Amino acid sequence: MTFLFYIFAAFALIGGIGVVVYRNPVSSAFSMILSFLGLAALFIQLNAYLVGVLQILVYAGAIMVLFLFIIMLINVEDEEKRRFPFFSFLGAGGIAVAFIALLAVVLKRFAPGEATIPKLTALEGPGTSDTHQVGELLFSTYWFPIQIVAILLLVATVGVVVLSKKELK
Amino acid sequence: MPVYFLEIIVVALGLVMLMVDAFVKLEDKRSIAWIGMLGLSVVFLLLFQVKGPENTDAAFWQFYSANDTTALFFKGIAVLTTLIVLVMAVDYSPVVVDQTAKPEKGAHPQSGLGEFFALPMFACAGLMWMASANNLVSIFVSLEAVTITFYILVTYLRRNVGSLEAGVKYLILGALSTGFLVYGFAWLFGITGSMDLAEITTALAKPDINTTAALFAFALILMASAFKVGAAPFHLWIPDVYQGAPTPITAFLSVGSKAAGFIVFLRLATPFLASEPIVGKVTMVLTVVAALTLLFGNFSAIPQKNFKRLLAYSSIAHAGFLMMALASAPDKLVEGSKLTPVTVIAFYLGAYLLMTLLAFLVMSTMRKVQVSEEIDSYRGLAKRSPFLAFALLIAMASLAGIPLTAGFWGKVNVFLLAIQQKEWLLVIVGLIGAGAGFYYYLKIAASMYLSPTEKNDDTSAIAISPLSRVTMIALIVAIIAAGFAPGLIFGLMG
Repeated sequence: MTFLFYIFAAFALIGGIGVVVYRNPVSSAFSMILSFLGLAALFIQLNAYLVGVLQILVYAGAIMVLFLFIIMLINVEDEEKRRFPFFSFLGAGGIAVAFIALLAVVLKRFAPGEATIPKLTALEGPGTSDTHQVGELLFSTYWFPIQIVAILLLVATVGVVVLSKKELK
Repeated sequence: MPVYFLEIIVVALGLVMLMVDAFVKLEDKRSIAWIGMLGLSVVFLLLFQVKGPENTDAAFWQFYSANDTTALFFKGIAVLTTLIVLVMAVDYSPVVVDQTAKPEKGAHPQSGLGEFFALPMFACAGLMWMASANNLVSIFVSLEAVTITFYILVTYLRRNVGSLEAGVKYLILGALSTGFLVYGFAWLFGITGSMDLAEITTALAKPDINTTAALFAFALILMASAFKVGAAPFHLWIPDVYQGAPTPITAFLSVGSKAAGFIVFLRLATPFLASEPIVGKVTMVLTVVAALTLLFGNFSAIPQKNFKRLLAYSSIAHAGFLMMALASAPDKLVEGSKLTPVTVIAFYLGAYLLMTLLAFLVMSTMRKVQVSEEIDSYRGLAKRSPFLAFALLIAMASLAGIPLTAGFWGKVNVFLLAIQQKEWLLVIVGLIGAGAGFYYYLKIAASMYLSPTEKNDDTSAIAISPLSRVTMIALIVAIIAAGFAPGLIFGLMG
């Protein structure tokens, strides 16, 4: 199984790099889909089927289609070649390398088995699929954060309407 | 009345404002702001009336702390800030109308203004939830509710390039910092196995905790929080965003967003500060961040020529003083002293609210008569409007920390706490910073009162709307009253 993990993690990473590196927006968008597919596979490997499927349906499906629509509608052209100032490139690269080195040190000192994540117990019978479980938790234990998210979405909707109102020439 | 009714009322007010904006034919949309202002005044009074929880719904109280007087104090800060921001927004509304999209044919000439008044209400509700949040989940969702509202409000003047640039910068950097925060949460959950702050505190206090992983989680959370409060070296976005955002929103950012950042950081740092194995290193990192912030904020403020940028750097400097209070961790708490990082930070934020909002009120009143925000354009203000000049003088004196103002006691408390905990490095750096503060704050006062006016300066009198005038008088009185009797603010903390 670790073999599969590495393959899909590589998918996700290569996709992520592609988003940044490609100059053509459409290629970037497709790289993003690759990255999302890799992520979805990782979620499914962790037995989080619902999250994995949502990742594909919502992100790779709906959101990326929207992205591509917008790219085509406003006819985004290839990004111009930019010159990166050497020192800011060096600085940014240095920070990234330092962060990865730090992560490597931390991971070396923190054995995988050390995490105290609550154990999952396998459930059987009707009403035990993870979709059912997630739904039940959202509307019982987690109803309060969900209400705040509802306000957040309302604010975002109002914001989109206000900021994208048609401009009359 | 249970305490969680307050947020419900604020959200309901926001919804009513949106509905009125959409469905009621109004001559002047500024009346929508009045709904908010009246409602918030009532909510502020209700803060003194709340009682403990009546029901015992464990599922609810795991996200929302009950019987928390500090949380009530922070809720008061949120409500008061939003109230004064709305006062400013009413004054500022011609600019908003002018610089948002031109209304379509047949639409209301002030279209787009109603939302400008309604959105801060939702940010206020988010701030209030955050004050009571005691679980990583509720901290995160309420923090996001606040930040997303701010992204919109900063970008609100969409015909103004400065506002758009500020919005994009804030959005990208804010999203990055949120990423770090969530990554930190993930590590914290991995180490402790819980999202509940009380359980995290117990788990982190165990002697066999993996210190490397715990410190890494702390570093990630520190990065995100330092970004939110504008502590060095994550302060670079502050001047640009503050300068570009609409003035009332800059005020909201500099008080509301800072208070939010510190509430979250206080809550998240407390478990680490209570953990025996790592508290030494945590305090050391906090000391470095506090010292850097004090130096950067205060020294970069000195050469500023733009008043809004100066206030931005000043807000970084104040974040430094607040960090200083946090870095003076209570690992050796002095018995009988009421100075703890929580009370000191709450007091400081209370004082900071009064003086910063006063300065911004003067600025947004000035915006009506002149577009320029350069410090030079304030010269001769004492002759044009003695009242405005006096209000700004009090605000600057308090920000600098001159005795008998609220700001003075804020700084005194911070220094007392640092001395109690024998953080000598911070005391010295803090004194240097405060000294620099005297220079750049009083430079503005000198420009208003002493600089001779030049030939083509505008010397006409400035009209102040009655609402702003009343608010300014209230703020001046509060600053001076708290300067004579700092116990007033401590009293509000319960």
